[in-house]
Amino acid sequence: MSDLAQAKLLSVPRMRRGALLPYLLTLPALLVCIGILVPFFVAVGYSMQRYNLAFPMGRSFIWFGNYIGLLTDPEFWRTVEVSLVYTVATVGIELLFGLGIALLLRDRNHLNNMISVALLLPLMTAPAIASLMWKLMTNPNFGVFSWALAQIGWPGFRWASDPHTAMLTVVLVDIWVYTPFIMILLLAGLRSLPQAPFEVARLDGVPAHFVFFRITLPMLFPYIITAALFRLLDSIQQFDIIYAMTQGGPGNSLLVFQVGAYLDFFQNTNVGRSAAELMILWAITYALSNLFVKQWYKLREKTHGAA
Amino acid sequence: MYETEKDLARSLVAGRIGRREFGRRMAALGLTATAAGSFSIAAARRAMAANFNWQAYKGQSIHLLLNKHPYADAMIADLDTFKSLTGMNVTYDIFPEDVYFDKVTAALSSRSTQYDAFMTGAYQTWQYGPAGWLVDLNDYINDASKTAPEYDWDDVTANLRASTSWSGVPGAPLGGPSSKQWAVPWGFELYCLSYNRRIFDQLKLEPAKDLPGLIEIAERIAKDAGGPYGIGVRGSRSWATIHPGYLSAYTNSGAQDFTVSNGKLTAAMNSPQSKAFNKLWVEMIQKAGPSNWATYTWYQVGTDLGAGASGMIYDADILGYFMNAGTKEAGNIAFAPITPNPQMSHPTSNVWIWSLAMSNFSGNKDAAWYFIQWATGKQHDLFGARKANLVNPVRNSVWKDPEFRARMAKNYPGYLEQFAIDSPDAKIYFTPQPLFFNATTDWAAALQQMVANQTSVDDGLDALANKIDRQLREAGIG
Amino acid sequence: MVRPDLLKLVLRGLALAAVVIFFLFPIFWILLMSFQTNTQILRLPPRLFFAPTLANYTALISGTLHTASGTLQITFLRNLGNSFLLSTCSVIVSLTLGVPAAYAFARFRFRLGENIAFTLLSFRFAPPLLVLLPLSLDFQQIGLSNTYVGLIWVYQLICLPLILWIVRGYFEDSSPDIEHAYRVDGHSWWRAFSRIAVPLARPGIAAAGLLAFIFAWNNFVFALILASADKQPVTVGALAFVTAAGIQYGQIAAAIVLSILPTLILALYAQRWLVEGLSLGAVKG
Repeated sequence: MSDLAQAKLLSVPRMRRGALLPYLLTLPALLVCIGILVPFFVAVGYSMQRYNLAFPMGRSFIWFGNYIGLLTDPEFWRTVEVSLVYTVATVGIELLFGLGIALLLRDRNHLNNMISVALLLPLMTAPAIASLMWKLMTNPNFGVFSWALAQIGWPGFRWASDPHTAMLTVVLVDIWVYTPFIMILLLAGLRSLPQAPFEVARLDGVPAHFVFFRITLPMLFPYIITAALFRLLDSIQQFDIIYAMTQGGPGNSLLVFQVGAYLDFFQNTNVGRSAAELMILWAITYALSNLFVKQWYKLREKTHGAA
Repeated sequence: MYETEKDLARSLVAGRIGRREFGRRMAALGLTATAAGSFSIAAARRAMAANFNWQAYKGQSIHLLLNKHPYADAMIADLDTFKSLTGMNVTYDIFPEDVYFDKVTAALSSRSTQYDAFMTGAYQTWQYGPAGWLVDLNDYINDASKTAPEYDWDDVTANLRASTSWSGVPGAPLGGPSSKQWAVPWGFELYCLSYNRRIFDQLKLEPAKDLPGLIEIAERIAKDAGGPYGIGVRGSRSWATIHPGYLSAYTNSGAQDFTVSNGKLTAAMNSPQSKAFNKLWVEMIQKAGPSNWATYTWYQVGTDLGAGASGMIYDADILGYFMNAGTKEAGNIAFAPITPNPQMSHPTSNVWIWSLAMSNFSGNKDAAWYFIQWATGKQHDLFGARKANLVNPVRNSVWKDPEFRARMAKNYPGYLEQFAIDSPDAKIYFTPQPLFFNATTDWAAALQQMVANQTSVDDGLDALANKIDRQLREAGIG
Repeated sequence: MVRPDLLKLVLRGLALAAVVIFFLFPIFWILLMSFQTNTQILRLPPRLFFAPTLANYTALISGTLHTASGTLQITFLRNLGNSFLLSTCSVIVSLTLGVPAAYAFARFRFRLGENIAFTLLSFRFAPPLLVLLPLSLDFQQIGLSNTYVGLIWVYQLICLPLILWIVRGYFEDSSPDIEHAYRVDGHSWWRAFSRIAVPLARPGIAAAGLLAFIFAWNNFVFALILASADKQPVTVGALAFVTAAGIQYGQIAAAIVLSILPTLILALYAQRWLVEGLSLGAVKG
């Protein structure tokens, strides 16, 4: 960017056309979403009740009873552990994988563009249905993947029916569906990076890995954070894939938050406990996202200020 | 004495004479078999119309919530009969089986007035009933002004009538005093062996008589059949894994799910009989079950049998029935009863009864009852058994029907024989209580852990019993 | 030197090929399965060459399937239509609400601005079930039970935060100079917004819209709980092929292919803006 342009950017006055305008612009969105607050507070209310649909006589306020019950239940902590493992594994692997693919497709040419759109296909397959198909493909009797594994000398791989490999299987499905999402975000980021620093580095003969770690990666951080944030929110709330695959089994090895809460409501009709589980999930999500967003703001200030 | 063809027809419909007798007398009057047949159907319709005002709710509409199932298909195929009989308008919502009960829970818990009647199993009524979502249909069945005389409630197998009624008191026996009829039986299944005759003949095997024998034969198949595994049973983390063959064999081995004393329940899954049985069951799966057992639902168990990937299944008789047509092994499936406990003299098969229930929030209850009594009545049951796939029918008269029996005997070898042996003691062997799904899902999860050797059978069952006891105590019924 | 470059090129090609195979092979396999009958699918070893059949597709489109256990009615096309209606309307509503809001966040620095932005984003944090359960228990009373409007409103939970975040980034990234110049010429902010800002932000809007469409399309639980059978999207509808008489894998495969098609077509159309549109506030060169 030329010096003149830079100066202009810094000196552009914030438009002050009526202090009300921005509020008016954001009001409709806010109003629509405010409606969500009502069921949210109702859910908070439920979480403080002992409320089981099959025991209508026993409904009563027990304030934090559900929460205490959950926090002292070793099974609940198992749920926390499984959810975190799932989230870290999927988000971590998808970030690395997505970044790698984005780097491969970095150059603007026809082939790369076509491939990047083609790679979106897994994302367009609804995760619930994708699970169904992966279930068939990993079926030990007819599944093409089981057959392939047997060919390379690994017969009898149990995929989702063995507690040791179940997590691997659902993480694999998640990676298959969602890596393209990260890839496309990071690709956009890569393509929009300014060329100048890279040209300078090339002219100066800076080695490639130095360029990557000291120039590319830091500039890419806002994108990485955004991608990680959205994936994190989805992963820790994962329902479709795991429910469709094993409903939380085998044993309790895949019982993540939303699957557990769903089963508690629809199968056990335990509204109070289900609501409490979801509130805890919400609190965790809120805290983590807060962290990410603060980071994002900091980075934005830095890049916009330093330009 | 009978004077006219119409009198004869009326007598047939009212059950005063049998079909053979009817045909004989019709022939004596100079009428052929087909004419005799059409007479009886017309007579049925007339009888149904004449004695009872089927048109009382003419013009009214009812809306049903149905599961995607052959029974629903059979009903829809015959729906015009009902519409012309009553002049009522019937619409329905069909949901896939995987999500069906979630939808029912969502609809009922929101007190929706959208659905008047719906399909359900007995276990679900153990939740829906105490929650106040269902109508006690005894009020209708015992009311002569609301129920047609030819409904013949006693024609429905006694065990099934009892299994779908409960007083709502946890631990109180099904069908006991002050039981409410929360659902009416429509079609049911019991649990036996469905085996692949081709594989059995190839290995010169006979279906097993008891559980140890079953394990032995299953192992032989897994070893020597050149591909298929021995026996298919369900294993997913769900109540559906516990209630079919597993519970039938469990009960046969002398174990109970709960013991009841003073109105309080205590979990009994860690009794010595249960432990002994579970060791055998786990062994069977480990040695000769499907390798992906822990994800196996009804569908996988059936599909494998139909595709020749398993030698036999210990699951619903009607699952074998469905797999005997349109699959690779069609025509090769045969049926046999099994008494898992060598010391027992007869099987103790659990049952799953698809039933019809009425929503307490319906605005058209009386009209909905007309539908329910028609769908579970003799005419439709006979139609479904003969022409569609409403198998197993719930009415004794339908089981005696020659046309139905001929159809089954022709295409499903051993089916009628196995049914004759299994049905006298076939009923729900669970103890009714509202935390049924809680308990059985945890039970399935424990079973999965035992099969995967994450815990020993003894420890797994002890932990399970403790967990369930705690849940019962928290709910105030343990 | 030529050697290392050639080696790099080959490695790069291999890596790319591996990636493409990993992601596209299952889709390819599903495509193959959609042209097979159930007995052909349930066969080991899986075969690459077989006698194809259009039976699955005709069953889906005509609405009836003849199996050995009778004729099943299929409502798949209706499900497809529902998915399309719900996703399109949701995205349109989200764009209408979200683009002006994103503009406000990007161009104006107003008190509570960041708070409102974070609040709107935080609706994404709410686990869908948390909202769904009370809604299912209370929708009946507000009369929104089993309506498309109710569903579209709930779908905003999925679409709005995504659109806000992405479009805001794009607005921040594009220079306000032209708008400023336009305003100085005496035009209202609305004209500056609609004539200048929005067209310039087309890539961002297209990208955000496409992603929101995909996520709305893939949703499973909302319609299941809140609507009756005639409003179910394909995600629920595909489960109808899991019947008591067996899983109709051929139809599920055909259903997946048909359900990917609309999104794919949309993506191909928006493709040239997709990558460009997802720049999120980084400095452009």
